[in-house]
Amino acid sequence: MNGGKGTLEGQVIIITGGGTGLGRSMAFRLAEEGADIVVAARRVPPLEETAAGVRQRGRKALAVSTDVTDTTQVNGLIEKTLAAMGHIDVLINNAGIVRGERPKALWEISDEDWRTGIDVNLSSAFYCSRAISKYFADRKRGKIILVASGEGFRGQRNSFMYNTAKAGVVNLTRVMALTLAEYNVRVNCIVPGFVDTYENQPEDYQKIMAERRAARKLFVPVGNPGKPDDIGYVALFLCSDASDYVTGGCFISDGGGLAGGFAITGYAPVVSLKEGRV
Amino acid sequence: MTAKAFLLKDKVALVAGDSQLWTKPVASALAGAGADIAIAAKSSPILAEAVEAVHKTGRKALALPLDVAKAAQVQKAVGQVIAEYGRLDILVNSGDIHFFKPFMKIKNAEWGKVMDTNFKSALNFCRAAARPMLKQKNGRIINIVSGLAERGLVNGSAYCVSMGGVLQLTRALALEWARKGITVNAIGTGWFTDPDKAMDETLARYIPVKRYGRPEEIGSLTVYLASEVTGFTTGQFMFVDGGLMAHA
Ligand SMILES: NC(=O)c1ccc[n+]([C@@H]2O[C@H](COP(=O)([O-])OP(=O)(O)OC[C@H]3O[C@@H](n4cnc5c(N)ncnc54)[C@H](OP(=O)(O)O)[C@@H]3O)[C@@H](O)[C@H]2O)c1
Repeated sequence: MNGGKGTLEGQVIIITGGGTGLGRSMAFRLAEEGADIVVAARRVPPLEETAAGVRQRGRKALAVSTDVTDTTQVNGLIEKTLAAMGHIDVLINNAGIVRGERPKALWEISDEDWRTGIDVNLSSAFYCSRAISKYFADRKRGKIILVASGEGFRGQRNSFMYNTAKAGVVNLTRVMALTLAEYNVRVNCIVPGFVDTYENQPEDYQKIMAERRAARKLFVPVGNPGKPDDIGYVALFLCSDASDYVTGGCFISDGGGLAGGFAITGYAPVVSLKEGRV
Repeated sequence: MTAKAFLLKDKVALVAGDSQLWTKPVASALAGAGADIAIAAKSSPILAEAVEAVHKTGRKALALPLDVAKAAQVQKAVGQVIAEYGRLDILVNSGDIHFFKPFMKIKNAEWGKVMDTNFKSALNFCRAAARPMLKQKNGRIINIVSGLAERGLVNGSAYCVSMGGVLQLTRALALEWARKGITVNAIGTGWFTDPDKAMDETLARYIPVKRYGRPEEIGSLTVYLASEVTGFTTGQFMFVDGGLMAHA
């Protein structure tokens, strides 16, 4: 599928956390519709792999090593993108630490744990959106996409920073949508359910989760975890002009998880209280 | 233009329900993405207009005039879709009659009419269409409802209840059929231009993007949800509303 006219022809899209998982799927699905892609995260090798995949699809790609919790680097990302690509049409705030929190008692969480969790999963989206907002407002067009989580809508034992930050992402979406509507800038949120990206997680974490991984999918009403493409295509819908009258919205793709939650679904195994976070 | 991944080639869609606004743009969007279309609604000029809009895209169209509140007629219509096209992949429930009156003044017959058009229609079509979908182990049901399925409005009791019913049907059926290949989702509409009504400017200013929606703007989300790539999305309610639902 090289070249050819797509619905995103000529658009430049920045994807934070674009080296792996959901971000990489977004990059490929958007490139297949004609977009040029800029991926930003801390590690360069995964970014370069994604960029190579984008180029294989006949589009331009740029990898910019960026820590999205560092506002100087974030501002640099926007400048470098403009210098290399000339313009920016969409920002996708996808970076996050999806399974970083180890179960810990509330009283054992340090100030630093708290700040890091909130910074990576919430503030980063604010920093990146702020950095691009004036440019989009002046241009009177633009789309900002945030990535929350089903966990932002519900509670979960021992998951303090992640669930709190992702709930914050949902409301940050709404506030930015209302604020930027008059500049013709659309702001929406993708809400993934459980999508299997375990292979990208630290090794010790994979070990802890190996057993639970099999059980985990039983929780998902449709009976299987999502694939990264299940989210990549949501991004495609939100980047395209098909969603031009849509703003401030949450686009949930979670195999039905959030539709239930009042009783044991009949699909979910019951987990003992001791087990904590599953 | 529809992104390649969302095309509905070889799919058959049934656009069901009495609606001034949605029937034609939804039928024409689904056809534009490549689906063959059946339209089931009460006999009215809209039926013929929708058929014409589908033909313009080069797809097939089948008009099925009926009483949406009569389960037997709905059952028969779905049978006709299968007889004509051999399958049914997509059901869009778009029944939508507007009705606003103080609660204490609503007559029983009026309640009945609102519930029939907005709720019972969706109920009947879900029942009838699920049969072939369950057999195929594949289906997409998309219910177009108002944001008033979730929010309240003065004088809106009958309307809010009827729409809320469809939303809850959406969530419950999504779970019931989660492992049977059928996804069930709802699209929430905001305020849309209606050729038959004068548009209120104050309300337009209340909408964050400062304009009413155009009925065809419902079509693109319908196509997206009808496509193969949304199999992991079910039981959800998403809005085409210019930002209304983000408001305080
Ligand atoms: N997978 C799921 O089930 C799921 C469910 C709900 C929500 N989500 C959300 O979806 C997004 C993507 O997750 P994923 O599953 O694709 O996980 P992933 O493969 O671990 O991707 C996360 C990406 O974020 C980047 N990142 C982390 N910290 C960063 C920082 N400080 N600066 C820049 N980039 C940073 C990582 O790259 P570097 O480490 O190289 O920086 C990594 O590529 C996350 O926001 C996650 O919370 C995922």
